[in-house]
This record gives sequence, structure tokens and C-alpha cells, in this order.
Amino acid sequence: MWLSLNIISKIVDIHDISPEEIALRLTMSTAEIETIDRLNEHFRSIVTSRVLDVQPHPNAEKLTLVDLDTGSKKIKVVCGATNHKKGDIVALAQVGTNFSDDFTVRKAKIRGIESNGMLCSERELGLSDDHSGIMILPEDTAIGHPLSEVFPNWVDTRLEIDNKSITHRPDLWSHLGFAREIAAIFSRKYSDPVNYSIEKTLKGKEDFIVTIAKPDQAPRYCGLWVKNITIDDSPDWLKAAVTSIGMRPINNIVDITNYVMAEIGEPMHAFDRNKLEGNEIIVRMANDGESLRTLDGELHTLCKDDIVIADRGSAIALAGVMGGGDSEIDDGTSEIILEAANFNPVTIRRTAGRYTLRTEAAIRFEKYLDPELCRTAIIRCYEFIKQVIPDAEAVTNIVDTYPKKLKKNTIITNTDFIRRKLGAPVGDKRIEEILTALDFKVDKEKDSWRIEVPTYRSTRDVSIPDDIVEEVGRIYGYNNITPVPPLVPCDTPRVNEFRGFERRIKNILVRDHHLTEVKNYSFVGEDILHKLGINEDKELLLRNPLSQEQDRLRRSLIPNILKNVEFNQRYNDYFRIFELGRVFIKDDRKSGALSDENTYISGAIFSRKADVPLFYEVKGIMYGLMEQLKLKNVRFDPKIKDMPPYAHPGRCMQFSIDKRVAGFMFDLHPSTMKILDIRGNVSIFDAHVNILYEGKRQDNMFIELQKFPAVPFEISVIADKYFYVDDICRLIEKSSRDYIRSVDVISIYEGEQIPEGLKSVSVKIVFAAEDRTLTHDEIDKLQKGVIDTLNKNGFRLR
Amino acid sequence: MEDKLNKIKSDALQLIEDAKSVDDLEEVRIRFLGRKGELTMILRSLGEISADRRAALGKRSNEIKKELETALEGRREELSDFKLDKLIKDEWIDVTLNAEGTTKFPPRGHLHPISQVQYEIEDLFTSMGFEVLDGPEVETDYYNFEALNIPEHHPARDIQDTFWTEDGNLLRTHTSAIQIRGMEKMKPPFRIAAPGRVFRYEAIDASHEHTFYQIEGMMVDRDISVSHLIYIMKEILKGIFKREVEVRLRPSYYPFVEPGLDLDFKCMICGGKGCKVCKNVGWIEFLGCGMVHPNVLRYGNIDPDEWNGFAFGLGLNRLVMMMYEINDIRHFLSGDVRFLYQF
Repeated sequence: MWLSLNIISKIVDIHDISPEEIALRLTMSTAEIETIDRLNEHFRSIVTSRVLDVQPHPNAEKLTLVDLDTGSKKIKVVCGATNHKKGDIVALAQVGTNFSDDFTVRKAKIRGIESNGMLCSERELGLSDDHSGIMILPEDTAIGHPLSEVFPNWVDTRLEIDNKSITHRPDLWSHLGFAREIAAIFSRKYSDPVNYSIEKTLKGKEDFIVTIAKPDQAPRYCGLWVKNITIDDSPDWLKAAVTSIGMRPINNIVDITNYVMAEIGEPMHAFDRNKLEGNEIIVRMANDGESLRTLDGELHTLCKDDIVIADRGSAIALAGVMGGGDSEIDDGTSEIILEAANFNPVTIRRTAGRYTLRTEAAIRFEKYLDPELCRTAIIRCYEFIKQVIPDAEAVTNIVDTYPKKLKKNTIITNTDFIRRKLGAPVGDKRIEEILTALDFKVDKEKDSWRIEVPTYRSTRDVSIPDDIVEEVGRIYGYNNITPVPPLVPCDTPRVNEFRGFERRIKNILVRDHHLTEVKNYSFVGEDILHKLGINEDKELLLRNPLSQEQDRLRRSLIPNILKNVEFNQRYNDYFRIFELGRVFIKDDRKSGALSDENTYISGAIFSRKADVPLFYEVKGIMYGLMEQLKLKNVRFDPKIKDMPPYAHPGRCMQFSIDKRVAGFMFDLHPSTMKILDIRGNVSIFDAHVNILYEGKRQDNMFIELQKFPAVPFEISVIADKYFYVDDICRLIEKSSRDYIRSVDVISIYEGEQIPEGLKSVSVKIVFAAEDRTLTHDEIDKLQKGVIDTLNKNGFRLR
Repeated sequence: MEDKLNKIKSDALQLIEDAKSVDDLEEVRIRFLGRKGELTMILRSLGEISADRRAALGKRSNEIKKELETALEGRREELSDFKLDKLIKDEWIDVTLNAEGTTKFPPRGHLHPISQVQYEIEDLFTSMGFEVLDGPEVETDYYNFEALNIPEHHPARDIQDTFWTEDGNLLRTHTSAIQIRGMEKMKPPFRIAAPGRVFRYEAIDASHEHTFYQIEGMMVDRDISVSHLIYIMKEILKGIFKREVEVRLRPSYYPFVEPGLDLDFKCMICGGKGCKVCKNVGWIEFLGCGMVHPNVLRYGNIDPDEWNGFAFGLGLNRLVMMMYEINDIRHFLSGDVRFLYQF
């Protein structure tokens, strides 16, 4: 919202305070000022000048050479217009005039002739849309004066308010509201701009009634019938003011209603009386299916939750949002009905949302406007109408229907409470000063103060003692409060074990296994699920997604991880990434219960080339992780029941903890690689962090080092090519748990001397005893035990 | 005999000097000092010589033997040094490479910059006695809005445009949603902090993101005041930036606090003069805070006449962007390792 300091200065005297100071103090006590905008500063270097002579440009048909008297010197400019003649008074932008950041008037040769300035059109000056020629000022205009003196109303400084910082303050959606704040901040008086005495001149000559069907939807409606209206352009000051606050001048009546809205904060409307049926305004709920064409030309089909203004025939306005097209004032309008009303904020908000009409009026009404403003607005409006159209005449008194009168809030509190909440020694006197300056009435009783809140703060904004603390605090200045350490117990906080666990996982992966953490969106779309063969319509959908690719909540981190792989492979030949994040599992999507939010750790390794299958890298990472997490009872298993469809069936494993499946690791399925257009090798892991967290974890206890000699024994076993070597090792271990210290595969051989479909696995076994050196006999027995076990299980030795 | 000895000596010394390798040297040793070496033979034949000459010749022979041994040893050392030099030369590598055939470093692991800063701040809060809490990312209207004093159709809901799920819940728009869950669980006095991912229904561009990170803090005790709030906020800033930071507080509006404040700190780039980072204001908006609204305490089953407190929340993305001069908020969730490797 724009705040014009010209308008403010009519309410409170600010001539001796700079706009920067006002902006800073408002920011520190009231609302955030985003920018300071000086309007038409360049008018100060544009001077009124008399045309002494006009000659055609010798080198250009469309240009003229103009000799000018600026009052202090005589200069020549080249001009593109032809509507000026000798003796005219024109506006000369002198060299150096800065129109905008992009345009400054400079001395320049135009087609060979030097030009010392620029003659301006009304459009170039922002005074109107007229660009037919340069502006010719009235004959009696004195020359040598800057334009800022000729058009003082157009030179203004305006402040841009951050609208978000005043959502709770209906009173601040007006210049009057900010003027009151400025008065309180700078300890000055403000003067109510409205001349209430004009109401006494009103005479009820005509009958006119207002009926409100549902007072809780429209607590108040004020109307005034005015005749002898002549629609015309607004006077200069009004056009300038309306422009300053960011609106376009339309005509005198519309500009007046807009000005009054900006000045005192009450949105207003004017109907063309002759387009209405009957002498009655009815404020009612719309009928379902009732149609109304609004001022912007749109035809809306309304519903029973909308409030409308109607005449005896039909709806004439969407209440609090926008007027109707059929009752709009136009150049032929001679009689108007002025409206200033108050509506239910929630209803207005819903209606504005329903038809996406977030108008200036709707934005204000939804903030809980003060109904006391209605009558004031009508008076103010009539005052301006009389000023701009002296023949205009009201033919009714203010028709005021106000069934639900607003009650001022009264808050009982005490100054100790205020001081204690602020933690600042603000004296009673200062508190009273601040509250009084803000129009609060203070009634001091023995132990407490009875504080009466002005109506414009009573609608919702100020209702409890804490609100009074804020009023005192912000005007006293939060920066005047000395920081004080709180006196509190210094217990050590409880540790969030789960978060600590998450962090440990991340640190292990980053530091020990060189993975890089990515963070992906919590959303996925059908496309990627489809590509991965997991599009089963199980995800919780968003009601209002931003895009199709992000229209549902992820049930797995893998789809987005694979998108990361797809993207990063373009710029990298090798990378390891992971994400730790939540997935959202909800099987009965109709119920209102929240999803199960499970935490997963998922990652991918990509390598353009892989001499060794990439799977072994991912396996190394997972083994390392489980070990570092000190998880006991971890089992890695190549036999998988529910393998994801995007996993390579010949290169995958699942791992379980305490017999619960905790995750998978696998190379990406060749078809998935193809669908995603990934060129290289990808290996994936996907683990359920909650299961890891719940798994049994334990520190290792010390085991005595081997003191007596260890005896190695190497053998080669012939096995089926697809037989897992791990199973061979486990078998060997079983032959003597007491004396076998380790069983490791040394090498695997396929080829010559080994029949097709078989492999030779060389295994090194180490025997040892804890308490003695093994004898030759014992060793022989152990070796024989190994061989017997293998033979019994159908293995041949080589 | 004397001459023979002298000749052996001079021949041997010459050969030792000429030896090109340890093997050459070994040959020389065998020829003169070996079991059947020339000098060895003379020493053995001494018994056949008359006793009067034997002593002198024996002495001389032993002298020569010692001399040759010393020369051999010396030359052997010389020759082995030469071999080591060669070895060293052979083992030369180009140390400006980082791995075989490349000047690239193998990538180390990187924690996401937001995680790094978030963990640092979590530790800071913990050190100040705040317990770190979690809450669901998909929340109910109750925890995200209603219990935070934002009833239905409150204009404040506009500021936080919301993603809604098909089951009528929503993606939390702020970590403040965790406040109520925290209060339900804990008995005052307490201090809690709640970091997490939050969502706003908003189109994304260089400075807007629909998914971002916040951290929330809340302290409830007896007689907590704005002056305590300011103290704690300044301590937190000092902890984050590792130095004293000048702050200013100004009124702001959050329905769940009363009074509500925004805290700015003086721009560290320009020292408050105004620059691009602070958008020429000289101050950087850092966090929203305020005294917990009595209604919110009541929603958390805490009696506002007995207890009160403050709450605050700050956005991590903007903080990280400022710390590392990141110019586009979209990098954070891009998954682009070229970005992540920088931190």
C-alpha cells in the first residue's frame, strides 16, 4: 500500500521531519516501510518558458527549432511536436532533468542542431494520457517558475507499506491510521480531517430506505442520495492524489470515493440512481445461481454464501468486493447513491477468494473494519462532492441502518503487568502518555487501570492485556529495552536420540564412505513412478499441486534419487549421493488420520566405467554402515521375495535386522537404465532408518588376542557356478566352531580343467585353540573334518 | 716375493677403483681374497718361507689384505649409493597429479550446507538448554493453524499459502506447528527447539522456494519478558556468527505471539551502510519472535496466568544463502553435486 505524505501532512504536521525519519520510526514502531518513492522530483528542474520563435528544422521535416525565454536566459531546443506557436507558455525540461534512472535530459545535437533541453507533453510529465503535442500552459502563467510550483500537488513523497505487516490492523489501511501513528510516535497532535458539520445541512426530501436481511453478515449500511451530479474529470489536486496512492484517475465521483477509502479507510461505492429499481437498497444473501455482471465485465454465478446489494429487482453489487456493471456510473450520470457499509469479514474473504476478486475493498473488509467509519465516510465524501461539483445536492439524510452496534473493548490490567512482560522500567506516566496518544482512554483505579480501546482497534486487534503490552512496547521502543539473561534452571536438555542417530548415519556416509548429501522434494509425480514400474496409485495426493511432476507425496526416496542420477551423470563420471528423508505411508487415504512418516536413507553410486561390479561398492558401504552403527543381528541375504522392479535380479541383496527386512541394495535394472537414459553403472541402497534405529545395538567387548599358533589350511572346492560362496564358507565353519578362527575365499577360478557350469573356489581356513598349541593329530582331524563336511554336502575337492 | 705383493696390491686397487658394480667388486674380492685368491695363496705359502723373512712378509701381507678390504668396503658403499640413486630416480612420480592419470581429486563426501548449518544451530540450542524436538511434516489444521491462534478464514492464512492433501490435512507451513506438540508433551518450565522442513504453496524462482527449512525455539517459564527474549536472541546470533552482532527489534505480526517482533541484524557485508545483500537497508531481517500468545499456551494446556514465555523462528535457507553468498534458492533442492561439492 502506498502512503502519500501530501495526504498525511493534511492530518498531522510533518513539515520538519524527513521522509527517511518517518519511514524509520514507522518501521520501528508500527509497520515495515519497504521503499521511499519521490514522485516528480524532476519537476524542480522543469521551468515554465515562453516560446519566442518557432522555425522549421533545416534537416528534418517533422522537427521544429524553438527559441525560448526561461525567465533567466534564452535558449534553443529542437522539438518533435508542432502544436506550439510564438507566445505560448510551455514546460521546458532543462539539461540535467532526471525523468527516471534510464532517462536524463542532455545537451545533444539533433540532426546537426544543438538542443538545450526538452519540451514536455502531458503524458511525459505523467499529468495525463495526452501525447498529441507538448503541453501548452495557460497564457497568464508566469515564466521562470519550476513546474513543482505550478503543479505542487504532483510533487509528493510516498512510502510503500509492506501489506503483510498490517494484516492485523484494519485501521492502518488508511492515511488517517498512519497519521495517528506518526502523531503518537513523534508526540504531536493530529486533526480529524472530516468536517462533520456538513451533516447538519442535509435535508430529507426524498424517501429512501435500506434493509439489511442478516445483521451478522452486514452490521451496518449507510447510504446517501445525491442529485445534480455532473460527471467530469477530477480537479488537478485530486488526480494528483489518486495517482500518488497508486490508482488511475477515472472521473470525479470515482476518484472521490477512492480518495476517501485511502484517506480514512472505508471502501465506498456510488451507484447510478437512475439505473436502480425502487427507492430501496436491500442487503441480502445471494440466491444460488443468481447472476451478476461486475464492473470488470465478468459475469458471475453467485451462491447463497455471498452477500449482495440489491435493489427491488436484482443484485446490483457483490457486497464488499465489487460493484455491478448495470448500475455503474457513467458520463450521463446525474444522480447517485453513495454507499459506505460494513460486512462480515469471513464472508467477504470467502467471496473474494471464490471469484478471485481480491479488490482493495475486499482486502480491507476482511480485516474487520470499524463500522463506525461508515457514517464518517459518507460525510467526507459529500464534503468533497460539494467542493468539486458545487451544484450537487443531497436529497436524503444519511440513511443509516446499523442493527448491530460495535462495542468498544475495555481492558483491565495494571502497569506492573506491562512492565513485567516487557522487562523494562516504563513509568506509569509514560504508559499513560503512550496509551492516550494512541486514543486509548485510561481510567486509573486503585490497583488496576481500566483502558477503553478506540472503536477502530476494537474489532479484533486489541482485546487482552497482552495487546496493551504491545502498544506500550512498540511506542516505547523495543530497542530501548535492555537485554537481561533469564533466571532459569540449568538442567541439561534431554537428548533427542533419533535425531542423533540420523546424524550419525549421515556422518558415517559422508566421512567414511565419501557420499554427498542431497535434499529432494517430498513430492513425486506419476511419470517417474511409471518409469520405475511402481505407479500403483498408493501415494497421498495433493489437493493443490504446483505441477504434475509434484502432485503426490513420496512413498520412497528412490524416484527422486534416480532423477538426481539422471541429472548429475551429464556433468560427472563418478559420484556417490544419498538422502535421508521422510516418506509418507498411508493406506486408507480417505481417513483424516496423519500418514506414517518413515525415515529412509537411500543413495546411489554412479560410475561411467566399472571394472569391478559397482554393486560391491554399495555393499561395502552398507556393511560399513551397519558395523559402525554397532548393529547386531544384521543379515545380508541374496534371496529376495519382494524385490523392487527397478532392481537387477542378479545383483541385489536385502538386509534385515533382528529378522525385520530393513532395506535393499542392488544395481539398477538394465531396462530402468534404458528408460531413464542413464549411461554408465548405477548401484542403489535403500534402508529404513526406523528399523535400523530399533535394531539391537551394542558395543563390542574385548576378546583376548590369539596367543597360540594359528595354522592355515587351503583347499579348493568345486561348486556350481551359481552357488553362493558365502554358503560354502558357512558350511566349513560349521565343521568345527571351536577351532576354526576364519574362513576366507582367496580366489575363484572358472575355465580350463573346470567343467562348464562349475567353478573352483579356493578357501583359506585358519585353525587355532585358545589355550594351547594344536598337535599334529588335532590338525589332521580338523582338516579331515572340513573335507568330510564338504563331501557330505556333495562338494568335490580339487 | 716383495714385488709380487706390491703388484697384487696395485692391481687389486686398480681393479677396485674400476669396478662398475657390486658384482664386479665381488669378482675382485674373489680373485685376491677368495679361498684361492692370489693374496690368500701368498698368506698360505708363508710357512714355506724362511723364518727370518716370514715375519716381515707376513706383516706386509696382512697390511695389504686390510688395505684391500678397506678399499673394497669403501667402493661397495659408493656403488650401493649409486644403485639407490637409480632406484629413487626410477620411482619418481608426478606429484602434481592427484590420482592415476588425473589432476582431479576423488570426491570426498559432503554434508548438505543446510544440514551443516542446521546441526551447528541445533548444537548451539542444546548448549543453551533447549531440547530438540521433531514433528510430522504432514500436519493437521489444528497444530499448524488453529492451536496457533489462526482460526479458519483468518487473513494470516494468506501469508502462508498452504499445500493441502486429499485427506484434509496439510503440509506444515512453519515449524511453529511443533510448539503445540511440544507443550502437550512437556511440563513447564521448558526450552524446546524444533528444526525441520516446511512447505508453502508458492511458485518457485531465484528467491522463492515451496520447500525450505526453519528452526523454531520456545521457552516457557515464570515471568519471562521481552528483555529475556532479546538477550537469548542476541546470544544465538553471537553463537551463529561467532561475534557480537548489533540487532534491532521492530513490531511485527504473528498470530501466535503477542507482542510480535521481527529481529534484524546489522548487515555484516556493509556494516549498515547499505549494499546488495541487505537491499540497501543496512539491516537484514533474520527472525520472527514474540511472547507466546496466552491462547496458544491454553491450547498447550498451560495456564497463562502462571507461565509465560517466548517463541522464535528463523529460516535456514536465507541464512545459508547469506553465509556463502548463494544467489539462487533453487540450488538447495536441485540435487546438483556441482553445487553440493562446494560446501
